[in-house]
Amino acid sequence: MILTTEEERLSETFAALANPTRRAILARLAEGEANVSQLAEPFDMTFPAISRHLRVLNRAGLVTQGRQAQYRPCKINAAPLEEISVWTEQYRSIWEASFDRMDDYIQQIQNNQKDENADD
Amino acid sequence: MTDIDGSQQAVVLERNFDAPVDLVWKMWTEPDHFKAWYGPTGARITVAEFDVRVGGTRQVCMEMDTPNGNMQMWFIGEHREVVPAKRLVYTESMSDADGNIMSPADMGMPEGHPETTEVIVQLEDVGGKTRMVMTHVGIPADSGGATGWAMAFDKLADHLESI
Repeated sequence: MILTTEEERLSETFAALANPTRRAILARLAEGEANVSQLAEPFDMTFPAISRHLRVLNRAGLVTQGRQAQYRPCKINAAPLEEISVWTEQYRSIWEASFDRMDDYIQQIQNNQKDENADD
Repeated sequence: MTDIDGSQQAVVLERNFDAPVDLVWKMWTEPDHFKAWYGPTGARITVAEFDVRVGGTRQVCMEMDTPNGNMQMWFIGEHREVVPAKRLVYTESMSDADGNIMSPADMGMPEGHPETTEVIVQLEDVGGKTRMVMTHVGIPADSGGATGWAMAFDKLADHLESI
């Protein structure tokens, strides 16, 4: 199945959000910038583990990280969230595609039924 | 193909199927049929359990392959109206695997995404074929206790507005 770029992006956003630690990181960043050690504080996790979560959020475009060597503050980027917040638009395209599949599937079932009848 | 009105968040879609209403009804009420078409492109429905009577539950699990690995999303709902081959109304909320509802904030959604949505399927027999109208509408959340999570995401919502 070919995913459109938009769908891929949405999938990536959802995948990034489908993890409680990453959602907690986002909630923390919604309060303001923080560096990795500040983000790691509330969790019983190693720096590399937090960094891995940050990389996922980064790839999904939800978090950007500064370049100052020591501090490297992380910042939330809300644009992908705005995209999924328009839930009706998102669902409309999902329903449209689903009903296309329902139509194909129904025709397939009916063709099979015809074949079975022809075999009798 | 338009919203009921501008103020209510709803998706309304109309479709005609070259099939009898009984078969289209089964698409929504029989798990094996439902799994064959439901969900976003690329998703698989791995669990669909329907207790098709008023008050009966609906549980669905959707799986997707993403660049970050396999992702599962669970949904739970309740049937509100069941009139065979005519009208089906059910609610839907995101949940965990045990069917506990999770708020959109828990799932990382900003404000504006309703906690529970309602799907209304209306079928009409048109000379042996089927006209289907599907309405998906957001139900305003009740004023239940705000969790720490909800508050955290209020801040996120504020942040969104400030950008």
